[in-house]
Amino acid sequence: MDIDADITHIPLPFLPNIPAAPEEYGVHSSQHTPLIIDNGSTNLRWGWATSATPRFGPNIFSKYRDRKSNKPLVLFGDAVEVEGAAKAQSRTPWEGDVLLNFDALENALDYAFVQLSIDTPTVDHPVLMTERLSSPAHSRALTSELMFELYSVPSLAYCVDGLMSFYQNDHQVGSSPSNSFASDGIVVSFNTASTSVMPILNGKGILSHAKRIPWGASQSADYLLKLIQIKYPTFPTRVTSTQANWMLRNFCSVAPDYISLLQSFEDPAVMRSSQKIIQFPYVLPSAEEKTEEELARLSEKRKEQGRKLQEIAAKNRVEKLQQKETDLAGLFDLRDSKPTYSKREWTHKLQSEGFDDDAMLDETIKKLDGDVKKARKKEAGASGMDVDEPLEEPSFPLVDVPDADLDEEGIKEKKKQKLLKAGVEARARARKEKEREREEKEREEKKEEDERETDLVGWSQKLRGEQETLMARIKDRAKRKAALSDRKSAAAQARMKSIANLASDERVPKKKRKGGGGANLFSQRQLFLDLLFFPDNSSTEDTFGADDADWAIYRKINIGQASSDEDEDLAQLQVIEQKLLMHDPTFTIEETHASITSQRSALLNAFKPMYEEGDIAGNTRIHLTTERWRVCETWFSPGIAGVDSAGLGEVIQNILSRFREDEKERLVKNVFLAGAPTRIPGIAPRLYSTLRPLLPTEMSIEIRQAQDPELDAWRGMARFAQTEEFVRVGMTKAEYDEYGGERLKKWWGSNWNGGF
Amino acid sequence: MPPKNFKKRGTAATDGTSTPQGPSLAEQMSYGHLPRPFKNPEYTKNINRRAKNLKNILGQERERERTERERKKAEDAMELDEEIPTYLSIEAPPSVLPQKHYCDITGLEAPYTDPITGLRYHDKDAYAIIKAMASGLPSASAAKEYLSARGVNSIVK
Repeated sequence: MDIDADITHIPLPFLPNIPAAPEEYGVHSSQHTPLIIDNGSTNLRWGWATSATPRFGPNIFSKYRDRKSNKPLVLFGDAVEVEGAAKAQSRTPWEGDVLLNFDALENALDYAFVQLSIDTPTVDHPVLMTERLSSPAHSRALTSELMFELYSVPSLAYCVDGLMSFYQNDHQVGSSPSNSFASDGIVVSFNTASTSVMPILNGKGILSHAKRIPWGASQSADYLLKLIQIKYPTFPTRVTSTQANWMLRNFCSVAPDYISLLQSFEDPAVMRSSQKIIQFPYVLPSAEEKTEEELARLSEKRKEQGRKLQEIAAKNRVEKLQQKETDLAGLFDLRDSKPTYSKREWTHKLQSEGFDDDAMLDETIKKLDGDVKKARKKEAGASGMDVDEPLEEPSFPLVDVPDADLDEEGIKEKKKQKLLKAGVEARARARKEKEREREEKEREEKKEEDERETDLVGWSQKLRGEQETLMARIKDRAKRKAALSDRKSAAAQARMKSIANLASDERVPKKKRKGGGGANLFSQRQLFLDLLFFPDNSSTEDTFGADDADWAIYRKINIGQASSDEDEDLAQLQVIEQKLLMHDPTFTIEETHASITSQRSALLNAFKPMYEEGDIAGNTRIHLTTERWRVCETWFSPGIAGVDSAGLGEVIQNILSRFREDEKERLVKNVFLAGAPTRIPGIAPRLYSTLRPLLPTEMSIEIRQAQDPELDAWRGMARFAQTEEFVRVGMTKAEYDEYGGERLKKWWGSNWNGGF
Repeated sequence: MPPKNFKKRGTAATDGTSTPQGPSLAEQMSYGHLPRPFKNPEYTKNINRRAKNLKNILGQERERERTERERKKAEDAMELDEEIPTYLSIEAPPSVLPQKHYCDITGLEAPYTDPITGLRYHDKDAYAIIKAMASGLPSASAAKEYLSARGVNSIVK
């Protein structure tokens, strides 16, 4: 499989384009052309009702001071991406699902009106604006306040975007705008931070039965980001929420049957074939590509330097040696010249040379002599001569002389010689011991070789058996360690018991045990059994330690650090495996302990393929497999991501249950999906397969999608604003003054709360 | 001065090139200096504008809903046969369907739960990963991270 073909590169951030020039205001001036504003939590769309398409941009603004020119700047929409400083200061009118930040809304609306080139002292146009389903009163009050008091609009009508998208896509409305709207259906409106379900009967939204699921595209993107972060905890670059959003839009889809999809993924090959690989940008470490010649030259240079250093060191050594030799010669001369001096003069001479007395002079000479000899030997060794020349056996003439024949000096000397002799003998013994060991080893190796040559299968079997026992032992140790971390496990309790037992004054004696050192486990168990069943069998005699195996108990109760046994076993294992690898052709590298323990199942490998440590491109890749469906499944069961709410299917079922059968039939015949997230593939088929089992077979279900999910709500509003009905649904300034900003005029496309 | 800038912005957009000496891209896109004659100079900002956060607003909604209900009760509630939905009342109820369990590691179906961490897992290999977490691999908080993705947050006291 060619992996490279499946890799998608994450798009690089690009600089925003300068938006199109503002349109001319002229034709709309004093014409009272309705102004249509779809105030979405991702995008703001605005324009004249007579335009075919609105202007739009991300509903985000940034007010900051440019560092270079020191000018205050205000940016809106895509322009915020222009630089980091702008992005850091950016704010949006929405906080999740609620319109909350009215400074941001004011700036966004300013931008909208500037773009429309409105140059009159008021915004003298009736406005139709969207709001959230059952919008909180506070959001509406402050929006109305801005509209009426800051922009002085003559009238303001609110609508719910999902209903207007439905209206735009309704085939019964036809081309003539005067046709009244009387369709039935269910609108499933996918918003940025929530998803709403609204039934419509006779062209009127039944908002008392509408429901909102607190899950939207932004939550799905966040969930995807979270999953990526825990799947790749050490990912070298930061994955941004913008990138997660891009992945959601490009790679994720809704499974028609999530469970059977997951079951098919239990086959690693299927899981692997479903993956999408996303390559993040990476920088290869500037690999110093050097030519052969350069490399050779470099190594030559290094060698040369090494040689030079060696030469210098040797020269130093020789110089030092010479120095020492001359010193030594001087001292010899000094000693030899002793008879030429009188005693007094001699002492004086000695002191002037820095010696206290003859003994000190002798000592110094001896020491220097030893140094010189050693250095000479070294020199000789360095120049390739055999160092191991047979040492002349040092003689210890005084050792065998009885003390009685010696004076005080002699006894002292004898003691010294004795010690020296002992040392020499010990060294000789050790040498012999070593020799013997080597021979034994050689013999064993020879024996093994013979064995191997005569019966390879048997030999290999034996070694494999040993390998298995070792591996089992290591595994057991790991298991025990794991068990000890749980206070309630049998192993931990047994450990506590043995500690208590060791600490108690009256140690319960053990029964005569069978077996010797090897049967640790058995004796241990025996100890506990004794403790359990013969607690009264206490004779005062303490035999602890009589058996070497007794001490193993301390090893058992010590859980602090990895015992040295572990290392030993591992070393031994390695030796065995080396042998097997070398001589047994059927033993492969996969059977070694290291590869067995580091092995990952094919399924996990398909879920998250591993790359080599040094593979920089590979390690900056994200593999999406189950996540591609998992993050979309949340619309149908938000519980997956920890949101305690009914999913889409359940909510629609609940809503339908409040209608009569004939109404139900009319509703499900026209299930309409609105909002930008409906571009995620698979929503409609999934919704169908979710609803079908809930409804009688004779009820036909039809699911439609908005033609242009992003702009259809705005287009529906613009279309509606050109009907006669529009004039009646707007709240006037007088009504605003009378009722206050929390109220609205209730009509078929508006919210119900606060209506009059 | 502003109208001049205004022109410049327009031309920059049409010919699509900008001289390096000219204003930066951010400056060209800024609308802070543009005239906004349509704004009412008399308007003073509502002091409530910034004081409220999401919690305040939802609390306010809840309070409003309660008083509304009480008022309705008092009025005998006969004339109002339609209930008025509010932002809080339209919230979808918790799911009553049995929740399926998915593996926290792989996302596959999870028949098992690790009693120590509470993580759900698909098979023994996923369980091995959970075991490794207990010994601090890949990080000490890995198990918590997995749980928090599922909305299970341990309470820190």
